Amino acid sequence: MGETNDAGRVQYLSFSLRETEYAVGILKVKEILQYEQTTRVPATPRSVRGVINLRGQVVPVLDLAAKFGLGETEPTRLTCILIVEAQLEGAATVVGVMADSVQEVIELGPNDIEPTPAFGTQVRVDCLVGVGKIGKRFVLLLDLDRVISADEKEFAREVAAAPEAFPTEPPVAPESAQEQAARS
Amino acid sequence: MDEIEIDREALLQTFLEEAEETFVHMEQALVALESRPDDDELLHGLFRDAHTVKGAAGLVAFDTVRDLSHDLESVLERLRKKTLPVTDVLVTLLLHSVDVLRGAVSSAAGGAQAGSDVVTAFRVRLAEAAAAAAPEARAWAPGAPPSPPPGSGGGDGGEAPTPQPPAGGGRSLRVDVTKLDRMLDLSGEIAIARGRLGEMLERGAASHAEILEAHRETDRLYLDLQELIMKARMVPIGPSFHQHVRTVRDVATSQSKQARLVVEGEDVEVDTAVVEYVRDPLMHMVRNALDHGIESPEVRRAAGKDPTGTLVLRAYHEAGSMVIQVVDDGAGLDRKRIAEKAVAMGLAADGARLDDEELARIVLEPGFSTAERVTELSGRGVGMDVVRRNVEALRGSVAIESERGRGASVTIRVPLTLAIIQGFKVGIGDEVYILPLDAVVECLELPAAHTAAPTECGVVNLRDKPLPYLRLREHFGLDGTRPARENVVVVQHGTQTAGVVVDELHGESSTVIKPLGVMFKGIPGVAGSSILGNGRVALILDVAGLLRETLRRAAAREAAAA
Repeated sequence: MGETNDAGRVQYLSFSLRETEYAVGILKVKEILQYEQTTRVPATPRSVRGVINLRGQVVPVLDLAAKFGLGETEPTRLTCILIVEAQLEGAATVVGVMADSVQEVIELGPNDIEPTPAFGTQVRVDCLVGVGKIGKRFVLLLDLDRVISADEKEFAREVAAAPEAFPTEPPVAPESAQEQAARS
Repeated sequence: MDEIEIDREALLQTFLEEAEETFVHMEQALVALESRPDDDELLHGLFRDAHTVKGAAGLVAFDTVRDLSHDLESVLERLRKKTLPVTDVLVTLLLHSVDVLRGAVSSAAGGAQAGSDVVTAFRVRLAEAAAAAAPEARAWAPGAPPSPPPGSGGGDGGEAPTPQPPAGGGRSLRVDVTKLDRMLDLSGEIAIARGRLGEMLERGAASHAEILEAHRETDRLYLDLQELIMKARMVPIGPSFHQHVRTVRDVATSQSKQARLVVEGEDVEVDTAVVEYVRDPLMHMVRNALDHGIESPEVRRAAGKDPTGTLVLRAYHEAGSMVIQVVDDGAGLDRKRIAEKAVAMGLAADGARLDDEELARIVLEPGFSTAERVTELSGRGVGMDVVRRNVEALRGSVAIESERGRGASVTIRVPLTLAIIQGFKVGIGDEVYILPLDAVVECLELPAAHTAAPTECGVVNLRDKPLPYLRLREHFGLDGTRPARENVVVVQHGTQTAGVVVDELHGESSTVIKPLGVMFKGIPGVAGSSILGNGRVALILDVAGLLRETLRRAAAREAAAA
């Protein structure tokens, strides 16, 4: 997943999403862009923020927070788009994912990674590969391929009990007033 | 095996490509052999092909493929020495062995190295044929080839009587090195021109006219490069036509019909992506023509026609489009039956008056079929729908002509290149959308009476004719405020005319099409995307899809209200 050095330590890039720190293997990340306005694509789930022009290539951008049922992201000065390469339907696809802010590059050895707890995380357990320990902090290690290909509705069901969760809504309802209210 | 491991991937890729080419060649030669059994050149060619496959398979350690091609070689050797006569049954068996070889190649490429049962069983059969003085004794059921082995082909291969060519690794193209050299030269020239332009701008000493001149020079070089790249993407349509030599033979044999395939315009060049898109439609059109069009030899003789039906695959260029025609001299479309069925299915109000255009629309409707029973070949009503969908995906059109008793022709028109279209830009809020210019008829301002009470759909009066319109803002669920004045773009698809209401009209421009990727597959009304002058992405709208989606939603609303 990440670059392995002699001691079997792997580098990850950590980023924050609504106060929680996540990380992905650094080799997955091709580049980091400052957030720019996307072109919305109709009839897509709300977690699909739209598409951007990456040097002539049209790249989809996902709002991870919306995907996890934490509501759509209001872009700030720190909002970033991580350009990652994910496996989607068996093909390598370049996808952008939005993060509230990018934190740092961390290095984790096998002893620093704990198995995912059975429940209690914002994200579905099968989208995590483990929990990294940095001192006293925990970092959730994401399985990006799984996250990107997972259906948004599945997430919504999982987090429906959480107080900050958004009401469940079918993804194909672009003319819904509720969605418009959430966007504006 | 370790020492070849290094280049195995590359070697394998080359092998797979070449093997497929060889197989297609072998099929053509075998079909030709049937009509010219004494042609030694054909036999030599076949022998060489089998030998090539054997050698190459040994190189990549595909043992099953190697052994099977060896057996095939033995049979061909006997044919060459005239110790075995060329018969229909034998040719069928040999064609079949090409299928088995193809299957063995794809399963070996998929990792299944051990000799599969199919191949082993087939080798026994082949050996028997080679040994037997009278191969006719072994009755071979031509209509029942074994199911393609796992990993071969893909898509709808399950329903196809002939296996599809393997889909894996097909996305490569051979380009003349001189063309590549010229591209490199041009990109070098562009680099120099850009450098000059940059320097002028940095120094700030050059006059406006000089800078403009330098810019034009860069622009011209860039356009040259673009044209060259487009040209490099062009490939002849011939190979896609020749694939059907085999289909025609097999389908005709299985239906006890006689048919020959005539190919015209095989040198016509077309964008490589177009070739991929027309592959399936061609297959369906050829099958349809044979199944529904060409009659049995007895019927043809009774009608005073040549008992052998002729199927023509024709390609030619016409005003920026490429035209592909499938023409048969069979029975033609049965208007009466189509009309009856159309009325029964609620597709037409009155079956009595159906012109060619109407006929084409009905035949291309999803699920439409006049066949009383579903045969292996057709009758599910899927084929022509595939034709329509693929051709529409290319922004092309399908036309059908038919004359009772004389034959029918299906004509598809597709743009020569997929990369650039003339687009018409419209704006809604700060989003820009592009409509294909050839779908746009005219533009007008939305009458004030309609802006007061905004609804998703409505009807305006266009020169005393009712014009239904849809508001793109509501249709796509976009936010933002509506401007005081709205515009209607009148679009046309086939015989349907409709208005698309937008905020602003930005005018026409050449648009480079970018694919949207797997994540946005099948979004109704969106055909692709393009990058605007300001660097942002604009979506290209698909008029046919947009109208279909509107009709679907309207129907759903009515159903909900009822």
